[in-house]
Amino acid sequence: MLSKNKVVDTALWDKNRNKIYSKKGGWIIGKGVFSHGYDMMNDLVGEVSYMQVMILNATGRMPERRLADWFEAVHICLSWPDPRIWCNHIGALGGTMQTSTVAATVAGILANDSRSYGTRPILEGIAFIKGAMVKFNQGLSVKEIVEIECSKHGGKPYIMGYARPIAKGDERVLALEKIADKLGFSRGDHLRLAYDIEAYMLEKFDEGININGYVAAFLSDCQFSSSEVYRVFSVVVNSGITACFADVCDRPADTFLPLRCDDVLYEGKTARVLS
Amino acid sequence: MVSIMSVNKHQQVKKRDEVFSDKISTRIWEETASDENPYIASSARCHGYEITDLVEKCSFIETLYLLFRGELPGKEEAFLLEKLMIFLINPGPRHPATRAAMNAGIGKTNPEHILPIGLTILGGAHLGAGEIESSMRFLRKNFKKPVGNVMDMLLKEAVAPEEGDWHIAPGFGSRYGSIDVMPGEMANGFAELDADRKILKWGCEFAQLLAPHQMGWLMTGLAAAVFAELGFQPRYGAGLFQLLSAPGLLAHGMEQSNKPMTAMPFVKDEDYVIEE
Repeated sequence: MLSKNKVVDTALWDKNRNKIYSKKGGWIIGKGVFSHGYDMMNDLVGEVSYMQVMILNATGRMPERRLADWFEAVHICLSWPDPRIWCNHIGALGGTMQTSTVAATVAGILANDSRSYGTRPILEGIAFIKGAMVKFNQGLSVKEIVEIECSKHGGKPYIMGYARPIAKGDERVLALEKIADKLGFSRGDHLRLAYDIEAYMLEKFDEGININGYVAAFLSDCQFSSSEVYRVFSVVVNSGITACFADVCDRPADTFLPLRCDDVLYEGKTARVLS
Repeated sequence: MVSIMSVNKHQQVKKRDEVFSDKISTRIWEETASDENPYIASSARCHGYEITDLVEKCSFIETLYLLFRGELPGKEEAFLLEKLMIFLINPGPRHPATRAAMNAGIGKTNPEHILPIGLTILGGAHLGAGEIESSMRFLRKNFKKPVGNVMDMLLKEAVAPEEGDWHIAPGFGSRYGSIDVMPGEMANGFAELDADRKILKWGCEFAQLLAPHQMGWLMTGLAAAVFAELGFQPRYGAGLFQLLSAPGLLAHGMEQSNKPMTAMPFVKDEDYVIEE
């Protein structure tokens, strides 16, 4: 109903008042639960893997089982039970606070929405390799592609998908290569280019590809967009955080890396008095 | 092809020689250990001031400003911050972040999760904390320029969405297709508080030019302008906005938590449309 003073066109919002439009599916009570046309209880439960449903819900496309198995392997690669990793550390701090498991795990997942590590860099990783492929197809050499990217960072080898903090080399790349071979995936154009870039990076800077670079190239070959990949991997670090939470939560409270007052270095203003 | 060098690199992962600090460091807070127990603090100072003195002699607003800026505010700064805190205290029950908190409340979510749930949704880039930093940067970059030039440039370069609201610049745009009245009125009021409020004044002139296009100040723009006036760094803006909006989120979430689930609408089947 129009208010008596209404002069603005609010049709877009009026159309959506008290009404939900879904391109995904939903629960039709008494009939079933549907996701992108699949009857979840009859077509999916017991028929496909959880990871296939995760990808279906995130992208709208049902992947083949082997691709979902590869995605699952990535989740294992990013769920380490080591509380020194930043997001896991948060899970552990939740444990020492006796936070709920869900809160601690979700807090850690939120932390991995970071521009330095975790899920978010995949957006930039895919943007880089797709952009590199365009440049390569336009005739630029691998050397030129690397130089253009490094020039954005004062010549330093900062390319999303290459090098990593803490260590040199990435054992997860070989693990994922192995599973890709086992599942029968061949290397596509993006992955071949990613390895050519790595070869140049190794020679020039002694820095290799990391899991982000590998995953970005592999999934670009599988025609995924960066936002689709980001959505699928939204909880990719989940399990490692829960592990670290559980380990600490089962110990006495406040015993995870407790700090004495003098364990914190104060660098601020000296003591002063309010006037 | 994967080179032998690549395989070797990833088979033999080596630790970098990065040097990590031995200790956490801070310029904000100093705790002095008690004589009996090094884990127990017997006193604490905020930027040099004893917390007990702050309790005795300062307001919450002054202490909040001190915590973030390192110095106590002048009267004008404290006054402006307090006015903004009052104005932002509740995004209101129609705001998606408040509704998230209310949904958690009605769903009997643990009370300690209600505020984080609301704050997380408030982090969004549309009318949320995610818009504050870019708005602060926009204002800081442009407030010394003639407002008409900025407007002309934006109208030439910015692209309106096919449907829905248009934020022609971060913190400025339309709300439900028209001007959001309250932030505009409040911005005019804040700008008049002090002759030296150049960013707020520039924002008010900019909003005037936007008015014929059914756009103006948004809540996020107003918050960004005040934060910029008070000298906060843009990266602090998102969290400050969340902090100032938190009371309303919690109040609405808790209000629902003692009600039955039927106290909030559950969209009817006939109003749930699965699109092909």
